Amino acid sequence: MLETVVQAVINGLLIGGIYALVSIGVTLIFGVVKIVNFAQGEFVMIGMYISFFLATQFGIDPIASLFVTMPVLFVIGVLVQHFLIRRVLGPNDMPQIFLTFALSLLLLNLALMLFTANYRTVHTSYSDAAIHVSGLYIPVAKLIAFVVAMVLSGLLWVFLHTTDLGKAMRAAAQNRDVATLMGINPNRVFCVALGIALALAGAAGSLLMPFYSAYPFVGQVFVLMAFVAVVLGTLGNVVGALIASLMMGIAESLGIQYVGADSGQIVVFAMLLLTLAFKPNGLGGGRVR
Amino acid sequence: MKKDRRQSVLGNQGHTNPLLSRRPSRRKFLLKATGAVVAGAFGAVPLRGWAADPVNIGALYPTTGSMAQIGVGCVAAAKLAVEMVNEAGGIKSLGGAKLNLIISDVQSDTTVTRTETDRLISGNKLSAIHGCFASALTLIASEVAERAKVPLITGSSSDQLNKGRTYTFTPFARASQFAQAQLQMSKLVSDKPKVAVIFENTAFGTSTSNGLKELAPAEGVEIVMFEPYSAGFTDASPLINKVKSSGANALFSVSYLNDLILIVRTVKQVGLDIAINGGSGGFVIPDFYKNVGKLAEGLQGVAHWNHDMDADAQKVNAEYQKRTGYFLFEYAGGLVAQTFMIADALERAASTDPQKVRQALSTLDVSSGYAAMAPGGKVKFGPDGKNVYGRPIGVQWQHGDLASVFPKEDARAPLLKT
Repeated sequence: MLETVVQAVINGLLIGGIYALVSIGVTLIFGVVKIVNFAQGEFVMIGMYISFFLATQFGIDPIASLFVTMPVLFVIGVLVQHFLIRRVLGPNDMPQIFLTFALSLLLLNLALMLFTANYRTVHTSYSDAAIHVSGLYIPVAKLIAFVVAMVLSGLLWVFLHTTDLGKAMRAAAQNRDVATLMGINPNRVFCVALGIALALAGAAGSLLMPFYSAYPFVGQVFVLMAFVAVVLGTLGNVVGALIASLMMGIAESLGIQYVGADSGQIVVFAMLLLTLAFKPNGLGGGRVR
Repeated sequence: MKKDRRQSVLGNQGHTNPLLSRRPSRRKFLLKATGAVVAGAFGAVPLRGWAADPVNIGALYPTTGSMAQIGVGCVAAAKLAVEMVNEAGGIKSLGGAKLNLIISDVQSDTTVTRTETDRLISGNKLSAIHGCFASALTLIASEVAERAKVPLITGSSSDQLNKGRTYTFTPFARASQFAQAQLQMSKLVSDKPKVAVIFENTAFGTSTSNGLKELAPAEGVEIVMFEPYSAGFTDASPLINKVKSSGANALFSVSYLNDLILIVRTVKQVGLDIAINGGSGGFVIPDFYKNVGKLAEGLQGVAHWNHDMDADAQKVNAEYQKRTGYFLFEYAGGLVAQTFMIADALERAASTDPQKVRQALSTLDVSSGYAAMAPGGKVKFGPDGKNVYGRPIGVQWQHGDLASVFPKEDARAPLLKT
């Protein structure tokens, strides 16, 4: 009995790490640039396809392909900010919403056209391996994904708190006008923020590849969870998004175990509504970190 | 598509180039076109010794869209089957008339299936049709064919195809028989099968799993877990955790491919010793093994046809494998047999008239040759168009190949207990 609970918590925690990578990206973009990126899931999908083709064409391990997907998506992020988002930043929100939404649909349908709807999987030596400890099991591929996700989140935190660029980013997030007055170039900061957010999405793609299939709609599966985590952990709050993602993973897993296998999302969204009812700004209490 | 059809109408004789290559040179095309026009011009003059008019057979398959992969495989098999009939001398009672396959792409879409079937029938003088792989498409094609009074023969398993139809023939096992076979297979794994049924919670999953639940008591199979899940989940671990705590020794998964891959992987990771039965359809095609790899080893399923059933099936499979690189899968193999059933009917009808062909199909009774290439080795249609001897075959992935393991009379390899 206890074993089942612990196993459910482990499962939830491990998948929560992946949710975290996606949601941190979304919350970072929202916190700094103040737009909601609906296309975040599609960038996870792009990361997965890059990893897939590197693995099948050149035999590069999906985890090692992090070093390709992250820089590539960073550059894409900078370009998206510089050529698209920068143009629609203004007092009106609607063009921003439609821009990222259109980007999402465009990428999704491009992928359908180029790669077809087929599922593509990569087999690695550790894809099906698991560590067994006293009746519990920990899948190796997910453990690696979780550890790397936590390391990347930690590095981001260090970057935001110790480097000048990181501090400038937080300053721009707190008050864009004052930050500009202090000599911070907002577009440069926004470019870096988009770049980092997309690089994290790319990392999520690479980390998913050893145990999940790539297909054009794959981003939609993860981005829904990411949005819930972002709201739950207070919009723009990186640490909040991380904690909320892990919580959601666990809630989903326990929900499937004890409520019903098609109720994972019911539990997650019930949790979201309850939290918002009592803490309308999310668990972070409205502070942007 | 158009070009494809034109090619199949005009120049199937001497068509020996590899399957699916559909770009003849312009010169070749002109040559064939001229030949066909000349043949047409002289066709009116009855010449002894001149080849008889070809018999048009329609083939409706989705060669584009989401089911394209299977559809393309079906077309390859359909061409192979027609070649086999023609090489054996064609339809002798019609003066050695050759079969002419007219292929139509139904694009994995129900609306297109309706218009394409209509177009195929009204634009050509057809003697019979076969198609369309997915039951949802076949149901529509069958409606159109019924109205036009052209016989349609299909491997699709929906029981609805046998209701209120007179021109539709189904030589293979029905959906209801599949569920029963799955339950019986679980008894091979254990004397006291405890089955966990997990199914995706939309129409496909719920209807299939309800069939299993209804039949289980009669088969003496205990269902210890019956659980719907939302398709497209991110993680199968919680679900498998639940299967583990249910104490089941057999797992029936009614799932789409992506979920099934996750489920199979997770079962291996947990180290759960459980026999998995993945059903039919997408589970019994070469693509499944390509996607899942070694993990597919030992997985069980059900099919209406398998390439190792008998010597004839093995022979056709060898030829198909030589051409495409893959083994002849369930649906494609079945339609080779169907082509020979049509040929048998044409032979006895001695006419290309679709109504006479329907009449001959309804009295078909074969127990040898390629037309009898079905589990059990016999085909005879009842008044509902159902093969009275039709039964499914239990299969298992063994060494990258699909082996027949159930029932005993059809088994070609022992069931591997994983």
